[in-house]
Amino acid sequence: MGEPAGIGGEILLNAWRALRQDGPAFFAVDDAARLEALARMIGLAVPIRRIESVAEATAPFPSALPVLHAALASPSAPGRLDPRHANAVTASIARAVHLVRAGDAAALVTNPIHKATLYRAGFGFPGHTEYLAHLAEKPQGAVMMLACDTLRVVPVSVHLPLRRAIETLTTERILYVARIVNDALRHDFGIARPRLAVAGLNPHAGEDGALGEEDRAIVLPAVTALREAGIDARGPLPPDTMFHAEARATYDAAICMYHDQALIPLKTIDFHGGVNITLGLPFVRTSPDHGTALDIAGTGHARADSLIAAIQMAATMAMSRRRAAAA
Amino acid sequence: MGIDPIAPRIALVMGDPAGISPELTAKLLAMADVARDARILIVGERRVLADGERVAGVSVPLAATISAGEKPTLVQGKPTLLDLRSLDSAETARGVASAAGGRFAMANFKTALQLARDGAVDAICFTPFNKAALKLGGNPYEDELQFAADVLGHRGPCSEFNILDRLWNARVTSHVPLSRVAQLLTTERIVSALTLTDACMRRAGVAHPRIAVAGFNPHAGDGGNFGREEIDVIGPAIAAGRARQVNADGPFPADTVFVRARRGDYDAVLTMFHDQGQIAMKLLGFERGVTLLGGLPVPICTPAHGTAYDIAGKGVADATATHCAFMQACIMGRARAEEIQAA
Repeated sequence: MGEPAGIGGEILLNAWRALRQDGPAFFAVDDAARLEALARMIGLAVPIRRIESVAEATAPFPSALPVLHAALASPSAPGRLDPRHANAVTASIARAVHLVRAGDAAALVTNPIHKATLYRAGFGFPGHTEYLAHLAEKPQGAVMMLACDTLRVVPVSVHLPLRRAIETLTTERILYVARIVNDALRHDFGIARPRLAVAGLNPHAGEDGALGEEDRAIVLPAVTALREAGIDARGPLPPDTMFHAEARATYDAAICMYHDQALIPLKTIDFHGGVNITLGLPFVRTSPDHGTALDIAGTGHARADSLIAAIQMAATMAMSRRRAAAA
Repeated sequence: MGIDPIAPRIALVMGDPAGISPELTAKLLAMADVARDARILIVGERRVLADGERVAGVSVPLAATISAGEKPTLVQGKPTLLDLRSLDSAETARGVASAAGGRFAMANFKTALQLARDGAVDAICFTPFNKAALKLGGNPYEDELQFAADVLGHRGPCSEFNILDRLWNARVTSHVPLSRVAQLLTTERIVSALTLTDACMRRAGVAHPRIAVAGFNPHAGDGGNFGREEIDVIGPAIAAGRARQVNADGPFPADTVFVRARRGDYDAVLTMFHDQGQIAMKLLGFERGVTLLGGLPVPICTPAHGTAYDIAGKGVADATATHCAFMQACIMGRARAEEIQAA
């Protein structure tokens, strides 16, 4: 469901319109009545089909959006945040995780949540991904990858003040993240021998220590250890010259030292179609890489590109993972 | 061709001779609009220029060749060459950084700066220098900016800017370790960067520069959840800038601020550190990127790329960014000439 006051509902409806013919088939864990009202409000002809179990989702998909009903405590309106909805928002996530862990669903796609509203209602996790890691009993933490057609990036830290991200950067953390990425590229993306590009932390990757010690002292030992483990890793690379098209063609994922080092190139290359992928969980999870966009919610103007790409990516990854498990 | 009484006088400084600089100089001068719109003084050496012409496969007709100390008379249509005879070519080889090459580039640059200081040219454009060669040549400066400021006797604020088409990027900190940036971010420093950016853009003919200011933390701190620099330092600096009539907005999340600017919402982005701007600007159009040394008494422009030793001598270097840099020098040189004429 995601934040009901945001654009999640309308991009969901539009994603169904885009994918109903060719799939992949999906169902929503959402409030069916609010989706019906929303479709009427923005003038979208999207029939809603309430379902009781996942098994009922596939057959009606070409003609109606299947919805496993998750009732909101009170009516919702676009753009209006209401802490009374927080329970339904988190319950929708928990229920979907349960379904995907039970094997009923092949993958999980999440719409954006509004963190501040959830915090106000007592939500104790920094964000979606941390909550999912908790539900999946992965205390070491999941890893966030962002992907568009020509670039995959993985920041080693996500929602930390930049100061803290720098202070907490360790060789071990880079290794932990890079190994999860390496495994995911093999199993979820079908890349037999992944090539990893590891970014430096400092301008020009530290210029031999002149512009910072971390690249020599922290990043380089991680790259060395990865190579010794037989992983095709290169770095630390100067961050400003590793993202142009020619450079991107030489690796399958870039390991980045902080959030914006990963997000700036991704958003600059593909502002609308980027997908957020959570690695290191026992199930496939993707989401659009934008926020709730409260300011345009209810206008019908929100672009569904990223959610559509997230659904397609989730399906591709689930198939690849299934093949890898069978092999 | 009309005679323009204030066609800007541009010193075109020959950069590192071992890379693509000679080729870029020749290619630039062979472009139709270059000599037409400006009065050009090439500062370098005849042999290096001839080498560039050979590599580029073009010929550059000169109005005159003068020697060090001669007063240049510059004309529209054909460039004048100031032949400093300063390169010991026995010591340089293509694609190799050398002390002689570093000294050559530095001598050319210094001469151009002195000419600008003495009012003989209105702006400077240089083809790329090579950092290693400059060091070998005994140049103690970390970057060209401080060297230029010293030769020009400039004590006020100055900064490097990147320009791509009409979009400017200024930064509060530059070549420092990332771990030092937070402590360097002060309201004063950011306000100073804002006023400098505003002033430079106005001098470059941008009437009412709209400046987007990037945050420091992910999601620009997300209201304090992911860091407080936006609340404690950057926000107050934007307010102070606005109080001084600088049209600044933000702080915006660094991952989308360039997307906003690029779609036309802003003329400039002020970033807090090197890679915030460099990653985005290099992706948006590396082949057209211009670096401006701004805030100095004379505008100085250069292409944003380097000496490209790997393709030196092959004739395949793309002179687009050099052309953009030259045109930016013309715009700012003309504005400066008009200012001086009006005064």
